[in-house]
Amino acid sequence: MAYVAARGGEQAILEAENLYRELLGTLSLERVKIIEETMPYLIDRVMGEASIYAPELAALAIAQTGGELYESVLLLRAYRSTQPRLAYAAPLEQDDLKTVRRVSAAFKDIPGGQVLGPTLDYSHRVLRMEVLRGETVTHQTKAAPQASPSSFPALAAWQRQAGLLPEIQADQTVPSEIPDVTREPLLFPVSRAHKLQSLARGDTGGILALGYANMRGYGAVHPTINEVRLAYAEVLLTHPSTGVQFSAGQVRVSSSEIVTNFAGNPQDPRLELGFSATLGWNEVKTIAASMLDLSMERSGHPSQTPEFVLYHTEPVEASGFCIHFKLPHYVTFQSSLEAMRDVKGKGHREKVKEESAVALEEAML
Amino acid sequence: MRLSELTKPVQDHAYAFLDEASKRELRRKILKGICIPGYQVPYASREVPMARGWGTGGLQVTLTLVAPHSTVKVIDQGADDSVNAANIRRFIARVAAAKTTTDACEATLIQSRHRIPEERLLEGQVLILQVPEPEPLRGVETSSAAAAELHADADYGMMWLKLYEQMVRYKRIIQGASYPVLVGNRYIMSPSPIPRWDVPMLHQAAHLTILSAGREKRLYCVPPYTEVRPLEFDDVPYQIENVDGMVCFRTGATHKFMNELPQEDGSSLFELSDSGYGEKILTETPLGETYYDSEGRFYHDGYLRQ
Repeated sequence: MAYVAARGGEQAILEAENLYRELLGTLSLERVKIIEETMPYLIDRVMGEASIYAPELAALAIAQTGGELYESVLLLRAYRSTQPRLAYAAPLEQDDLKTVRRVSAAFKDIPGGQVLGPTLDYSHRVLRMEVLRGETVTHQTKAAPQASPSSFPALAAWQRQAGLLPEIQADQTVPSEIPDVTREPLLFPVSRAHKLQSLARGDTGGILALGYANMRGYGAVHPTINEVRLAYAEVLLTHPSTGVQFSAGQVRVSSSEIVTNFAGNPQDPRLELGFSATLGWNEVKTIAASMLDLSMERSGHPSQTPEFVLYHTEPVEASGFCIHFKLPHYVTFQSSLEAMRDVKGKGHREKVKEESAVALEEAML
Repeated sequence: MRLSELTKPVQDHAYAFLDEASKRELRRKILKGICIPGYQVPYASREVPMARGWGTGGLQVTLTLVAPHSTVKVIDQGADDSVNAANIRRFIARVAAAKTTTDACEATLIQSRHRIPEERLLEGQVLILQVPEPEPLRGVETSSAAAAELHADADYGMMWLKLYEQMVRYKRIIQGASYPVLVGNRYIMSPSPIPRWDVPMLHQAAHLTILSAGREKRLYCVPPYTEVRPLEFDDVPYQIENVDGMVCFRTGATHKFMNELPQEDGSSLFELSDSGYGEKILTETPLGETYYDSEGRFYHDGYLRQ
């Protein structure tokens, strides 16, 4: 009871925060810079979940929370929500991306070729103990004999031409009219825009868990990775008075396409495609998310229903609700207790079946 | 003329933190909620500098309504000095420069989690309840799309069945807090996890109640002088928590909602859950009328059946 009843609760919470910050040590620009320079993948993950591309702010958020990632994401989201939406960037196709890595599992070789780019996929996961003994480790890549192209078409485009995937019409919605899940509530049935946006800002761990459940057997989908891509995207804006398009800069993006076993009309079966993209380089998240994008069309197991997937992979909401159970709940508890004592007191105890204990427990939550 | 002369100095955030577009959205959604008592209105629910599930829904409503001349009271479980209430109050005072109070009669805005003050709120006062789960049907229908259809059709059979099953198993309705109510004879609403003791206070109340769930992105309202009836069967009256024999060990008050404080000898002490009310008794501050009198009679005669 002390943490509620004690007078001076205000002083206590201030000191508790002070203690957390004191243990982290001095916050400085230097510390923020080191995080930004040395942990790009962590920065990318946090920026993706916060849906704001600002490496310096992400590094500050990580520094300020000591790497408590849900807190970092919340800091960035709370900052983002104070910012006005000034302009809408032009939509991009995969061909427009400056792609540094693009691999496909569906074919041995694909138009444009397999480009490994930077990856730990084939590394031996061995700790470099010599670093702890004071040695420094640096790596230098050899230049390729010929430069690879800077952009690659989507494999799905080739599959559509070949009649393996259904033809689609490009959505002509103007950017300012695309539903924005950061400005509107997520409602069900969900629009595709909200679905892809929610996956893009979803919790990496949560997306992985539900995507994995689908891959492992709870989904009807056996995925083949059509392509996974790491790239730089130009943020193209239109000048409000001259109407001239210009680049506001580049952002790191990742995207993934998966295809599944054929379905549809037996006379003309087609593959089905799942897609996902996010800010920053985060392969595991986009692969799992594209799996969920496809599974969510099926609506069988809870992990295939949009409401289950999108609500429960929201990092700020999920983590916030989880930790809120630390708050005092003694009023609700007292209310249930009163009902339970009444039931006991009336001498109904012997009549109450064993299973009812479970129901009571549920009611007490 | 220079551009810098035309602009205002940079501020870290707008007055009361939320930008004007967010506040406008909330005001519109609140108006809609007032027009359709008990109906859950979806809203964008922007992130605020506090964790989801910690009162962000209530906070967004408070920040939208607060003005420099407001007087704000924040309580959690009835207590003004609960750590999270203290934190929310500190934040509101910091970003809105509003006056704060622990006296329910003095406040123009009361943000609360899990309690309604014992003293009757009056016209012009606004009670903002934090809501973890706005959907009263969640226990019988997990899909919010399907639940919305049930509300549209006023198809509440499953709720009645749930209460009936409790009757069959336990010989009484065992629902603790969050007791479902019918608002304006139309929508079933969760009153938020207030105890059953507090639920009647919403009925034909003089004040406006706004209930807001930040994480679930829904808000709903009980306008002044609206019918609010807990679900009850003709032959099974609604039961508030029994507080007979409980005496507040600090103030001697009876027939108010109490905190039970377990003692080492196996017994329990009781204290007023409404700490602001308790403080007024101890400092001999004039008290407002209460919803329940010192004999435990509710102020609307006949509302609570025996």
